[in-house]
Amino acid sequence: MSEAVLASLREGKFNKNAARRVRAAGQIPAVVYGAGQESQAIVLDPKVITRILHSESGHNTIFDLSVGSAAPIKAMIVDWQYEPIKGKLLHIDLKRIAMDKAMRVSVPVMLIGTATGVKNQGGILDQVLREVEIECLPGDIPSHIDVDVTNLGLHQAIHVSDLPHGGKFKFIEDEGAVVAHVTIVKEEAPVEAVAAAEPEVAKKGKEAAPAADAAKK
Amino acid sequence: MLMPKKVKFRKQQKGKMRGKAWRGSTLSFGDYGLKVMECGYITDRQIEASRIAMTRFIKRGGKVWLRLFPDKPITKKPAEVRMGSGKGALDHWVAVVRPGKILFEMEGVAPEIAKEAMRLASNKLPLKTTFVQRHDVKVVAAK
Repeated sequence: MSEAVLASLREGKFNKNAARRVRAAGQIPAVVYGAGQESQAIVLDPKVITRILHSESGHNTIFDLSVGSAAPIKAMIVDWQYEPIKGKLLHIDLKRIAMDKAMRVSVPVMLIGTATGVKNQGGILDQVLREVEIECLPGDIPSHIDVDVTNLGLHQAIHVSDLPHGGKFKFIEDEGAVVAHVTIVKEEAPVEAVAAAEPEVAKKGKEAAPAADAAKK
Repeated sequence: MLMPKKVKFRKQQKGKMRGKAWRGSTLSFGDYGLKVMECGYITDRQIEASRIAMTRFIKRGGKVWLRLFPDKPITKKPAEVRMGSGKGALDHWVAVVRPGKILFEMEGVAPEIAKEAMRLASNKLPLKTTFVQRHDVKVVAAK
């Protein structure tokens, strides 16, 4: 489903104070750029953006953006900022999309099934790469890339080269990069409580050179 | 206990804890995390106690990441000593945290186990915390 987002042009000053006023009014400041055109400062409804970010296709959703009375354009979310405590959206970067031009996007990797190494050998599945970078046409962006991990044993890994290739996209990520692996967690022994020992103090310039030589010998 | 191997200066001034943790405030490694909601010091002993509480509860079932390190030395004068005569001796190490920082992350366990483990860990800490998780965790678990 194609989402429609209404935005209005930001007017007045473009400082921190003005941005705070926009947020206090229940909206968020944003910027739209790309496609060889001038960037525009706009104001958006954060609920619509949150809905897009939490949708199945996430930040790769292409939607119709109408700025003021101008004709709608295809756009995508490229960057977003959250407030660290309450998790409110603070600012959004949008990019104008040309539907006939290939682009690079990050797509989430979903691990399907329970690995044999987890089920029978007592390992844990560690997902190292949660998103992979791909190149494709905007209309062909997959919502996620599924990988079956059922046959993954202990100390085995899935690499980018093992992901399903040959679709309408090509991987930009290093083919040897590890996506997920089954590992065993070593139990760390509790550290005994001792009085804080003095750490080594780094020496500067002439004092450091003889000390380093002595350490080598 | 956790402490730096090498430091530039043995003792430090108190410093301030203004603002929010703009860095280290999102989940980077695991699916679940413990976010601190106020600023303060967390000592090396408290970090170790939290880590033990978490790992004992999950029983080698998951992986834990510590996202904080006690790199600030705290000094203390001996008991019944008059003021003056210089700064006291090194007593312990603390991590300075600002609201929004993710303290611990966890992966490889069910959400309810992670939540309980994080609750036990937060009981060892002197600050208000909250449990956080990735919004797509449930989707993955359902599949």
